[in-house]
Amino acid sequence: MSTSPQLPALGFGLGLRKEHYTTILETSPDVDWFEVLTENYLVSGGKPRYFLDQIRERYPVVMHGVSMSIGGSDALNMDYLQQVKDLAQQIEPRWISDHLCWTGLNGLNAHDLLPLPYTEEAIKHVVKRVEKAQDFLGRRMLLENVSSYVTYTDSEISEWEFISTIAEQADCLILLDVNNIYVSSVNHEFDPLDYLHGVPADRVQQYHIAGHSDFTDYAIDTHDAEIIQPVWDLYAQAVQRFDNVSTMIERDDNIPELSVLLDELDKARDIAAKYQP
Amino acid sequence: MSHEKSPLLELQQEFIRLLMNGDQKIQSRIIGTQKVPVETRLGIYADAYRFRLIDALADSYPSVHSLLGDDDFIALANAYIDHCPSQHFSIRWFGHQLPTFLQQTAPYSGSPALWEMALFEWTLRDVFDAQDFTPLTMDDLRQLPAERWSDLQLQFNPTIQRIELSWNVPALWQEIDKQLDPSEPISCEYPLPWVCWRKIDQKNWFRSMDVDEAWALDQMRQQASFADICEGLCEWIDAQHAPQRAAGHISRWCEDELITAILPLK
Ligand SMILES: [Fe+2]
Repeated sequence: MSTSPQLPALGFGLGLRKEHYTTILETSPDVDWFEVLTENYLVSGGKPRYFLDQIRERYPVVMHGVSMSIGGSDALNMDYLQQVKDLAQQIEPRWISDHLCWTGLNGLNAHDLLPLPYTEEAIKHVVKRVEKAQDFLGRRMLLENVSSYVTYTDSEISEWEFISTIAEQADCLILLDVNNIYVSSVNHEFDPLDYLHGVPADRVQQYHIAGHSDFTDYAIDTHDAEIIQPVWDLYAQAVQRFDNVSTMIERDDNIPELSVLLDELDKARDIAAKYQP
Repeated sequence: MSHEKSPLLELQQEFIRLLMNGDQKIQSRIIGTQKVPVETRLGIYADAYRFRLIDALADSYPSVHSLLGDDDFIALANAYIDHCPSQHFSIRWFGHQLPTFLQQTAPYSGSPALWEMALFEWTLRDVFDAQDFTPLTMDDLRQLPAERWSDLQLQFNPTIQRIELSWNVPALWQEIDKQLDPSEPISCEYPLPWVCWRKIDQKNWFRSMDVDEAWALDQMRQQASFADICEGLCEWIDAQHAPQRAAGHISRWCEDELITAILPLK
């Protein structure tokens, strides 16, 4: 009998983007599940909900948010959490994720996924808030690692130690963004394999893989391009280390035809089939 | 003994001041590398903050963007970002104060067509994701017994937005939507009433109305009865023709999917 906190895996999914709504409904593509951006559907009605409801009838979905500000210093936004909970009641996602970051202060929103210092104080702070959010939502949530461009003098431990400690202490799951690990490893000059080996295998629930912009000396996670070989390589390493993890291609900008993303998804399937034990 | 300030809070305050005011105090908290100095690292965040918000505004206001051109739109966006930082968790709401900002801030306040365009575009945006509904059909309306008409009260499509426009911005909006170069804005003799709404085909619609129709619609949306409307329409036409005119408005609203139900008698 397993005591793993992991939820049943969903296979190979895509991010649901409005550009693909009609193609998905017309062609029922071979995608195991869709990840929907929570905030896009926190509206009263209209096209977004109309399409989501139809796609939901055919595919499992998960909800991925950007606004929880789990590391923020303002009180948790309970109005936001209530809206997330209401949406979850309506569309019954298999899980809900957000990012291990902060997004604003004093009621002002930067609309960015800002990095936290990897300190004892931040761990305590985030753990308390994850517990509160999970209690309120009535389920375990996933926290995703963000890409970062700064290292704080305050930080006492590595990013992987930080996310792992929080996941263990708050009893939440991890959404491992392989591209973000790669981007941060370039920006902070660490070995991405150390990251992969530093997180607890039974807490990794989902992968994001994506493209980014390379500026030689640093990289930015623009999610607007094809996945590059080093990220595929890192993904191949990840599937050897972790079991039962659901994979998703994340494209946020410069959205191509659905078929392009389906090809990338097939590539991920091939890699997983080749390397998974 | 006073509590020491939380280092996490202090760091976040300095970071927000970097993004919103360009304050560089946070530099001392960041470790740079030979390849990528601290300024470059912080610059990535400062630039991303602005780009993302400018992008959101351009997405909400494509026609304001088109009327101003790239450079002036970016200048406007930067002024707006400084003046009205986002206070909502969803970036969808970031632009909600732009019409007021344009109306109240020089040099934009000197171009009334510009703020009316902003008002029109934000209105369409609200229509787009307002609550879903089921429209009343013409058959439903025809089945109403003749004696029920004078007490008739209606429930309306929740996506309806009513605005008054003194410039021909909907026509300009259509030109821009068809990727044409917009013609010079033309002002109307008097403010025209417009109604914007969504049909069940999920498409946004808008049309101008005669003043009496706009008055009747506004009244009936506030629970006025058919009889009330007939009385009020005498402002514009003689009493004898008022019921016919009122019924004409209602049947057009029904065809346009502006009505969702006949309210039960109290
Ligand atoms: Fe991601």
